[in-house]
Amino acid sequence: MVLETENIFLPHLAQIAAIHPETGDTNTFTLRMCDPQVRREFTWRPGQFVEASVFGAGEAPFGFASSRLEGEDFRITVRAVGEMTRALHALAVGDQVGVRGPFGNGFPLQEVRGRDLLFVGGGIGLPPLRPLLVEALAERDKFGEITLCYGARTPADLVYKEELAEWRRRKDMNFLVTVDVPDEQWKEHVGVVGSLFSKLRIQPQRSAAFVCGPPIMIRFVVQDLLKMGLEEESIITTLERHMRCGVGKCNHCLIGDKYVCLDGPVFNYRQMKALLEPA
Amino acid sequence: MNQMTLSAQAEVGAPARLGVWRISSQALQTLVARLLPIAQVIAPVRTSAGEVDYDEITDPGQVCWDYSTTISSLKRYFFPQVEPLFQFSCQQGQFSLRPILDTTPRIFLGVRPCDVTAVSFLDGVFQRDFEDPYYRARRENSLLVALACGQPAANCFCICAEAGPFLKEGYDLQLVRLDEDYLVEVGSEKGAALVRENADLFSSASEKDIEQRERLAKQAENSFGEPKSYFAAALRKISFGPPNQALWEQMGEVCFGCGGCAFICPTCTCFTTFDRREGEGGVRERHWDSCCLACFSREASGHNPRREQHQRLKARFFHKLSHQFVLRNRRHACVGCGRCISVCPGENPMPEVTARLRRGEWC
Repeated sequence: MVLETENIFLPHLAQIAAIHPETGDTNTFTLRMCDPQVRREFTWRPGQFVEASVFGAGEAPFGFASSRLEGEDFRITVRAVGEMTRALHALAVGDQVGVRGPFGNGFPLQEVRGRDLLFVGGGIGLPPLRPLLVEALAERDKFGEITLCYGARTPADLVYKEELAEWRRRKDMNFLVTVDVPDEQWKEHVGVVGSLFSKLRIQPQRSAAFVCGPPIMIRFVVQDLLKMGLEEESIITTLERHMRCGVGKCNHCLIGDKYVCLDGPVFNYRQMKALLEPA
Repeated sequence: MNQMTLSAQAEVGAPARLGVWRISSQALQTLVARLLPIAQVIAPVRTSAGEVDYDEITDPGQVCWDYSTTISSLKRYFFPQVEPLFQFSCQQGQFSLRPILDTTPRIFLGVRPCDVTAVSFLDGVFQRDFEDPYYRARRENSLLVALACGQPAANCFCICAEAGPFLKEGYDLQLVRLDEDYLVEVGSEKGAALVRENADLFSSASEKDIEQRERLAKQAENSFGEPKSYFAAALRKISFGPPNQALWEQMGEVCFGCGGCAFICPTCTCFTTFDRREGEGGVRERHWDSCCLACFSREASGHNPRREQHQRLKARFFHKLSHQFVLRNRRHACVGCGRCISVCPGENPMPEVTARLRRGEWC
């Protein structure tokens, strides 16, 4: 009787369909659900996340790096930093992993129709923004200006290098890139990602900004955007916490009274301010 | 037992008492003997160290019907400290997963009201938003026979926490000791079925029995003495500020960060998951965890949003007491069992913390 109901802790099996190296320690994995019916019915929104398992090494949350519009297979971009992510990096194409999800609320793309979109990504914070950008470009006429500002520590830390070149060629969006520490070949901007904003003509009242990156970057970029006159509700970010279960049970991702896994991970700045744990 | 459902307890505001009966001590022994072959029977028993704790019994004579509190609560029977979730095995690169659900029928006897209230609280935590199938499997196959409390122990404050000494809801059956016999209150369809199936052991309760029950309830309430825990004021202050950083820092200094309070607490449910390897496969388990432990919120990058002990302590009490979580869980998360008072090696058991929050200063 109980077995027939859905088991929130039991992963679906998925196969690694492709592995694409991004940087020295970061790969993009394309995953394909093993069960054809699960594959067809598995849908998600940009900003949501999965709990991926390497059996024997554990489970961790990853934001979707691809849009459902691109197909049934989905991608996650993973840096090898802990036991689980290192075990994932040790796997090969064809190997099986576990997948639970999708979890979380996702980005509000419908709600920002008609406005200028500013994407601000830092390092490995670009992957969660990527499916949102893909979906915005798929209905390009629904939005005003679309701009992507991407920053990384060094040129070697930039992910999606082929796609960055494509975005740069596109006439229907602006693309700016920066690094903190350039190498000899670097011809682009140098500085933190916020230092790109002076190159833009942003109309704050009609802009919505989507920001993702390390906590310190988010903090500075939000301040820059507020100074430029963006509304608190128009600054939207996705928070990373240790979402262990993804379903609001284990309490690892609690901030104050909000579960990042249930109530987020996408919050606007007004909501984020209220998230600060009470003193 | 197989037809057990939760619906009778889940309905808020449903009439709690579906019938009142009387059972003699001797008939109660017979009832326990009849239950032993059909379910695992868990009851308070005297341990070799002379303390009382819930354990499985194999003989009706083992049940300790006269005790104040048990060492631990029923939490571990519904949410074990280490619980297998599923087994994974691999053959030629193909994994197969087999969920491990515990559907053992269990009857809990002589459970104190605080611990019954805690189970009702866990029902909400594990069944809201996403239903936890592991909890559900254990809960659906359980039956709770409460034992109303006549005499609180020194650390008890269920009366402040609205969790006792007599229950109004949450039980399948509630026993109230009347001299040599017990009054039996029926709180759910499951409880009613147990009485029906053993009708020969029960007799009708008289008006006088019910009057005596009311007297005993009053007497039990009056035996608590000075209030121990001022939840209303603590709840308001922790929910709506103003923030009292200095007080939390003081409390952080007398917290060892051992997690003992969370492990012993009947309503604390933080957990983590862990893959235990066995040959080519293994078992994914969940283990109790505690938001008071230093590594609880640390991320793979090394970033820890709660670096200081006072931040972790505050997060725990915010989760247990705040209005924001009362809205999620329908009540605050303390049942007044007093176990954190016995366990805390520092100075932060619930009544101390609520007193400090109420006054806004160390006391």
